Amino acid sequence: MVGLIFVCSMATEATSQVRRVVIYDDAATELRTPSPFTHSKDLWVTLAELTRATGFVVKPQGVCRNELCFPLPKQRKADFLGQRGKVTWFNLSEFARLVKQPVAHEEKLATWCFGPRPERQNSYLATLEAPNFTLPDSGGKLHSLSNFRGKKVLLITWASW
Amino acid sequence: MPGWQTFYRELKDKNFEIVSVAQDTGGAKDASPWIEKANPEYTVLIDEQHLITKLYSMVNVPTAVWISEQGKIVRPNEVAFVDDRFKSYTHMDSGPYLDGIRDWVAKGERSSFVLGEEELRKRLTPVSPDRLMADAEFSLAEYLYHAGHGSEAIPHFKQAQRLAPDNWNYKRQAWLLSDADRDYGTNFTKEVQKLHGKPYYPPRQMPEPANKPN
Repeated sequence: MVGLIFVCSMATEATSQVRRVVIYDDAATELRTPSPFTHSKDLWVTLAELTRATGFVVKPQGVCRNELCFPLPKQRKADFLGQRGKVTWFNLSEFARLVKQPVAHEEKLATWCFGPRPERQNSYLATLEAPNFTLPDSGGKLHSLSNFRGKKVLLITWASW
Repeated sequence: MPGWQTFYRELKDKNFEIVSVAQDTGGAKDASPWIEKANPEYTVLIDEQHLITKLYSMVNVPTAVWISEQGKIVRPNEVAFVDDRFKSYTHMDSGPYLDGIRDWVAKGERSSFVLGEEELRKRLTPVSPDRLMADAEFSLAEYLYHAGHGSEAIPHFKQAQRLAPDNWNYKRQAWLLSDADRDYGTNFTKEVQKLHGKPYYPPRQMPEPANKPN
């Protein structure tokens, strides 16, 4: 119990110092470990935070998620990885530059938004398959385009504005 | 929306579905009144993050994509009105478009409205780095808006609009979320006037139906 209270108060202290938000694949994740790279404009995250926010894992062969792996340039490892005490940090901004991923940044609110890599956005052009999506109806029930396979679909967008 | 409901009734027993997606940062709060009023039988979804705008490179509403039984795009997005309420503004008849859909539903890939691969590849092109950055800026702005930082969102909405100048969805949505004249120095009416008679909607490139489907 004592331990639990201790952990909670630590977390509160950390978030009051710096509360950073990463938006990746349209989902926002709050990071609680204050970055020691205070002079860098780049977003450095711990390896645990990297996985929590993006699903990517640093492996010997590169930065990987499922079957996808991006090798890090050997001579530039230090641009991507930094050791501070026992913690290994990862430069997510540098990784975005490597994979040509767009990043929008709100400095004052320490918020970063990572868009899709170009080849991901454009992947449907090879197959001409309609990009799949999953969205809620007004009752909150989720529907995927792929559920309509076998029928002709007229996909219409509209807006209240 | 009531117009689409009538149209859906006509075709729903022919292996045809309408999936209608609201591009609204305000989500169900903004979109629901419209849905409740029309009470459609087809699927209506809420897209708070403008995911469909991004995925399908849409620039205005109402816009529609035709998708085959195999999940392939057979006509990429183009303006899709179900009636002529806005004809003075669009200079387009809805009738030929709806007849085109009827033709497709009746004939499938033999329909002259279904585009061949070569034509599809001409119309569907890779997005530019600027467009991708515009999407990221817009997503950031929406997040900030929802997190209660409306004024911090504005520079990012503006950046998205600057990087994707043809995207009316990015303009109109952002303007709606604040006082457009005060925060953006413009509004929808003023921007439409700036077109000087150029069409707001890109004209559709559709063949005339050779013979009406029965």
